[in-house]
Amino acid sequence: MAAKKGKLTKVLDHLKHEDPFSKGVAFCPGCGLELLLRFIPQVMGNDIVITGTPSCSAPVLLGQNNQSWHKLSYFGTLMTGAAANATGLARYYRKAGIDNTVVCFNGDGTAADIGFGNLSGAAERNEPFIYICYDNEGYMNTGIQKSGTTPFGATTTTTPKGSVHKGKNLRRMNLALKMAMHKIPYAATATLSDLDDLAKKLLKAKEAKERGFAFLHVFAPCTTGWGYAPENTIEVCRRAVKTNYFPLWEAVDGKIRMTKTVKKPKPVKTYTELIKKFAHLTEEDHQILQDDIDYEFCILGGLSVLEGECQLPVSAQD
Amino acid sequence: MSSNKYFKHEGPWSDANDPLMVSDTGDWRTKRPIVDKEKCIFCGFCAMYCPIQVMEMVEASHFTPDLDFCKGCGICAKECPKNAISMEPEGDF
Ligand code: SF4
Ligand code: SF4
Repeated sequence: MAAKKGKLTKVLDHLKHEDPFSKGVAFCPGCGLELLLRFIPQVMGNDIVITGTPSCSAPVLLGQNNQSWHKLSYFGTLMTGAAANATGLARYYRKAGIDNTVVCFNGDGTAADIGFGNLSGAAERNEPFIYICYDNEGYMNTGIQKSGTTPFGATTTTTPKGSVHKGKNLRRMNLALKMAMHKIPYAATATLSDLDDLAKKLLKAKEAKERGFAFLHVFAPCTTGWGYAPENTIEVCRRAVKTNYFPLWEAVDGKIRMTKTVKKPKPVKTYTELIKKFAHLTEEDHQILQDDIDYEFCILGGLSVLEGECQLPVSAQD
Repeated sequence: MSSNKYFKHEGPWSDANDPLMVSDTGDWRTKRPIVDKEKCIFCGFCAMYCPIQVMEMVEASHFTPDLDFCKGCGICAKECPKNAISMEPEGDF
């Protein structure tokens, strides 16, 4: 066959390591989490230890009975102590002089709600590990309940659409900004439509963990919980970025920088129209959601403009 | 659980005699991705975005899914810039 004119995407160059997962694992078709989970060790290497909590990721990461779905080492913890457990592991490896990367891999329920206290503590103590939060905006594994990162208006099983309420009537919190304000060596947001960006951030996090805590907030849509067609997973991510619903940025040693600037952000409607959990939103509801997004982006814009002017002092190491 | 022909490696917590677990996720498929070799420009987008990472490179000319495990989500077909992949009903095969 004649050679093709096309050029292979450079993202594939980032996949330097073997995929440690078995081919057939129990994630829904079109699951964003599965792509993320397979991507991380292929980029960062298989010499990582994952710790994590009960979540969508746990049935696969933890294995079943005495068998395993993957070749990585995994340590299952409680949701209330995810980062504390990772701290212990990371400190042990450091003391023993073992060069290993501890990746604390949790959903938004653990990161933003239940396990936030010790996540915040670990970040404040600048513990040497990577915390990755895959954000599917709710407690999907237990039956799609709302979490702190569920956006305004979204229906979940605990914020259903009824005669009085129409989905969640609270705004979401911004976990990544909150973590960046812990003044850690590395904090970033990423998503699955921009895999080149995600790969670079994973490698930067791996490098930053030599200096302390690294936090990565990855937007990973859930086809089952949100109600969109499985083939739209990447498109949902793409539109989330293009509407500034989920802007991509990073903070290296406290310097916040947009890693992808959207020239003309689209109205949030172009994002919500894909997803059933937003299907009932009226014009006014959309405006509230839009205002919330604009507000978050405005803050982020302000912080990233200050780049250069605000330099984080050299962090104290224990 | 199918017999594991892909991994002979033992899992970290498994019995030393056990291979990794594998589900026949190919059985879940209701639609099958069919790659048009002529249209494919070998960009690799389908391979990069496939959540299960089952798009395999064929002689640096095109990609083809491993149908034993492809769940038929359709992401590859949706993301292909040349529309070289079509999703056909599984019942037709
Ligand atoms: S995305 Fe389409 S054009 Fe690109 S390699 Fe896959 S089938 Fe070929
Ligand atoms: S249909 Fe989904 S699982 Fe199958 S090859 Fe395409 S992207 Fe992969």
